Amino acid sequence: MNCQEFWNNLPEADGMGLVEHEHVAQCPACAARLRSQVALKRGLRALAGQMSAAEAPPRVEARLRTAFRAYNGMAGVPSRRWRPVWTWAAAVAAMFAMAVLLVRERTPQAPQPVSHVVELADNGIENGFIPLPNAAQIDPSEEVNVVRVEVPRSAMIALGYDVKPEEASQSVEADVMLGTDGLARAVRFLD
Amino acid sequence: MTPSTPETDDALLIRIQSGDEEAFVTLYRRRQAAIFRFAQHMSGSQQVAEDVTQEVFLALLREECGFDPERGTLSGYLFGIARKLVLRHVERGRPDVALDSEFDDFSFPELAVYDDPLADLTHREGIEALRRAVRALPRRYREVVVLCDLEEVDYADAAIALSCPIGTVRSRLHRARGLLLDKLNQERNPRQAMGGLKPVRCLS
Repeated sequence: MNCQEFWNNLPEADGMGLVEHEHVAQCPACAARLRSQVALKRGLRALAGQMSAAEAPPRVEARLRTAFRAYNGMAGVPSRRWRPVWTWAAAVAAMFAMAVLLVRERTPQAPQPVSHVVELADNGIENGFIPLPNAAQIDPSEEVNVVRVEVPRSAMIALGYDVKPEEASQSVEADVMLGTDGLARAVRFLD
Repeated sequence: MTPSTPETDDALLIRIQSGDEEAFVTLYRRRQAAIFRFAQHMSGSQQVAEDVTQEVFLALLREECGFDPERGTLSGYLFGIARKLVLRHVERGRPDVALDSEFDDFSFPELAVYDDPLADLTHREGIEALRRAVRALPRRYREVVVLCDLEEVDYADAAIALSCPIGTVRSRLHRARGLLLDKLNQERNPRQAMGGLKPVRCLS
């Protein structure tokens, strides 16, 4: 086997098992080059090992869960203790879920999460945000995320806003405040 | 009792498309770390890596998700999306990313013989030198090293991610390793390396 034939086999064999090869024993140039290749391979493995624990922070998963629910027309599932409390609260949540579903059908783009922490007032909700009736309260020290979505103006009716009938089908931007569990807690209409 | 076989990515994707959130989370947890690391190696930025990872999985939710299981694995497809997103981030203005042309005029190092066995590449300083060398590779060589050597993606998946034939993956990887050795030897033997430098641009 000449040098060319030897190196033609290297990519598949990755060099590690070739150190004892007959050609390497006879060819100092190939032996030196092979040592470099093997050292590089080991170094790359060490670098990969050093990076093996790196992963996306947990907030990415929380945002994606929220986006998944938005895409599938689901509002955050309330905890068991809140479920049967107010019928009207469930109705509002259902309307909001429908609004998100309608938005998904109109604009297939993902809601753009805004990576900032909202400063909360003493009651846990910043001015302008309306707490969702079936949502758990937000602890003032809790880190929340805000996701901007577009909803039909008719969704505002369910939260107490006056909306002219002729404007009900128009879209309006809204910020949805999400707790650390990824569930919607409050909403703020931007218009 | 035998342990249950983990559900395949394709099976999870079918469940995801029918609205199964747990399937989405399972797939995310299985694949996110490799996507994150790939984006971090390629961009050099944790923030970009975070954004890219998020956008990769958001892309799976969109109706126009173009994954075709007959063309390759979901893993390769996800890396391909990540690659395009990283490029987009880089094009938006990250001047610290190496330009493709910086290495392209170097002589092909295949025939070079290195006396230094680079034996300490597994030590801390050696790993850091190697990280810098990977970072300095032109993009098309860096991405193949990150995929095949660091993330141990097989050539077929790498070819899908890079939108090129498997033969191109092999040849780029071969050349990339040569460039890495060349770069590392330059760091260790700067005087020797100086002889091989040639002016490429006049800044005056």
